[in-house]
Amino acid sequence: MNQEMNLRLKKDLKKSSKNDRYLSWFMIIPALAVVAVLIVVPMIYSFSLSLTNMNLLKPASTQFIGFRNYIRLFQDEIFWRAFWNTILFMTLAVNVEFILGLFIAQLMFKVTRGQGVIRTAIMAPMMFAPVLVGFQFKWFFNDQVGLVNNLLYSLTGDYQIIPWLIHYPMNLLAILIAEIWMSTPFMVIIFLAGLVSLPTEPFEAASVDGASGWQQFRYITLPLISPFIYIAMVIRSLDLGRAYDLVRIMTGGGPANRSEMIWTYTHRLAITNNRFGMGTAMSFITVAVSFAFVIYLFRQLSKSLQEVY
Amino acid sequence: MKRLLFVGMVLLLVLSTSTVFGFELGRFDGTTIKACFIGGGDYEKIYEKFIPEFEELTGAKVEIVYKGNGFDIDKKMKIDFAAGTVDYDVCWDHTSFFSQYLDFLEPLEGYFTQEELSDFSQKVLQYCQKDGHLWQIPRHGDVSTLHYRTDLLNDPENKKAFQEKYGKELKVPETWDEFKEIALFLSKPPEIYGTQFAGKEEALSGRFWDILMSHGGKIIDENYKPTFNSPEGIKVATMLRDLYQAGAMPPGMVNFLWDDVAGTFANGNIAMYTEWYGWYSYFQNPEASKVAGKFDISRQPKGDAGIHGGWAGAHCFSVTKSSKNKEAAVAFIKFITSYEPQLFEAQIGYIPVRNSVFETLIQEAEKSTDPLIKKRFEIMQIQINEDFTPPPIVAEWIPISNVLYPKLQAIMLGDVEVEEGLNQAAKEVELIMEEAGYYD
Repeated sequence: MNQEMNLRLKKDLKKSSKNDRYLSWFMIIPALAVVAVLIVVPMIYSFSLSLTNMNLLKPASTQFIGFRNYIRLFQDEIFWRAFWNTILFMTLAVNVEFILGLFIAQLMFKVTRGQGVIRTAIMAPMMFAPVLVGFQFKWFFNDQVGLVNNLLYSLTGDYQIIPWLIHYPMNLLAILIAEIWMSTPFMVIIFLAGLVSLPTEPFEAASVDGASGWQQFRYITLPLISPFIYIAMVIRSLDLGRAYDLVRIMTGGGPANRSEMIWTYTHRLAITNNRFGMGTAMSFITVAVSFAFVIYLFRQLSKSLQEVY
Repeated sequence: MKRLLFVGMVLLLVLSTSTVFGFELGRFDGTTIKACFIGGGDYEKIYEKFIPEFEELTGAKVEIVYKGNGFDIDKKMKIDFAAGTVDYDVCWDHTSFFSQYLDFLEPLEGYFTQEELSDFSQKVLQYCQKDGHLWQIPRHGDVSTLHYRTDLLNDPENKKAFQEKYGKELKVPETWDEFKEIALFLSKPPEIYGTQFAGKEEALSGRFWDILMSHGGKIIDENYKPTFNSPEGIKVATMLRDLYQAGAMPPGMVNFLWDDVAGTFANGNIAMYTEWYGWYSYFQNPEASKVAGKFDISRQPKGDAGIHGGWAGAHCFSVTKSSKNKEAAVAFIKFITSYEPQLFEAQIGYIPVRNSVFETLIQEAEKSTDPLIKKRFEIMQIQINEDFTPPPIVAEWIPISNVLYPKLQAIMLGDVEVEEGLNQAAKEVELIMEEAGYYD
């Protein structure tokens, strides 16, 4: 009898879990449909475009050419220069912004009066459009009448024309400085939010045990705010992977492609050169690189979450 | 008598509502002409003043559906044409860009009489045509001219030193060889550089082409094969490299665009260079410019082929092939490119493309206390009628330029030898033309 009841119960459970599964799938259909329409379908369509020779001026003569665009790009010296410049730019910018952001956030955390005013002042660079920042820094680094060369002249008395935006890696450094100036406040705000949310007990206990300030920072603060760090780094990596405005304004990717980045090159290929198929192929490679960065950072994030909680 | 006068006045009124400056515009009551125009700053003044007049004269309504700078419009139109989403009858066009849009434009030769076109610079009109059709009507033009510092070229010490060094008089260069010689001579960096050019994008490849053309060279030949790596091309690229490497050009020049070169000249750092007319009031403003009253202009130097360089372009209007109001759109173009609007634009600084407007401007300039004003209009008219030459009229000009200018920069910076750099660019251009179907 019991055995029969057990079997029935199991059967009912199986049936109801099957029903639940159907129901759950049914319930997420709208969300899936939205994702499909907004993300999956355009991605598939644009991937299919990357396998064609589509020219913006001759859309009617578009032909399927397989992976020829990808093969050409991998053989293209400028593409590889743009690729490595982008990787270098992302890596340096994210890390410098992280260090500076953490340092400034720590200082601001210690401020007891006027934190609101300082916070607003720190946020100011974020309020400028990247295009304006680009023009501003292009002017700073102008070799003839720029602020930097004139400042160096005032300090040293030696009038040297340093062409900041011409020679590699100085031009990349100039763009990097503009980017760091503009985006470090983002890191500061995120880290400050992290610092404010930390419990005070571990620090009190560490002080009682005689831990130094550095030890408290290294072994308590840093691990506890690591989720904030990784989130900020993911967002910034995605932003930097799309670096375009600043580069376009400050150097245009040049001269002689010396400061070329993936998006400046993509724009040139897809829009100004009308080679939409080739440009789309390049965009897909960029997306793949950004995915790699994000996956790596999310893995680090989940590791740190496991350690902290 | 009173009745006759009344009838006469009514007749005059009716005529005046359909005819302007001798052109029959027609009535288009109830028609809305949609337009995609260049916008910003002084470009829009003509719309504000003349669109209401046109609407009153013809009964049509003009609705501007998009305004942007030339490059934004170029992008928009290419995407609209490709996607079939064109919703405008009249569009901005340009002598450098129009050949990209031919499949989507209405040929205009059937809508204009010879008489209607006779006042325009025939040289400009020549560059509004391709494959035997007239695709656009010019609104105003621009042409590059030589700007030079009179205080440096007329300086007795400079003259004496030049005479001693070269055995000839220091004067405004008439050939590119003289230009190079004088630029090298006048350079005293970092205070004075002999010359400069805008050093990137189409600004550089266009200048290369400008000088190449005056030497008798071409970017592409009749079979659409790249020919800029010819001896003429090598000579031009060598000149650019030599001037840059010798310090006769600012080191940052390869990152300069139009506003940068104008700023450097106004700052007093440049002895001479080729520039557009549009900066004149800025250069002559003593509050903004250190060269106010210290410069003059002349036609660009000649090349080995005896041709004056004259890189030029003209803003134009076209009618879209998909327009359902072609007659009304053409009427609008006739009106907006007629004498009065061109004179109005010329008076706010643009270069007209009608000879009758030049004549009025030169007459008015005779009253000016600034002698350069009259000289400027006279040289301008000669250049618009004789030197006006836009870059190659092929849809692939901008892609070609995008291949060419980084190589020219690499040559100037010494990253690659002159011939090798041009050969590499030629190979890439050949690939572009092949992909575009020119060799099928």
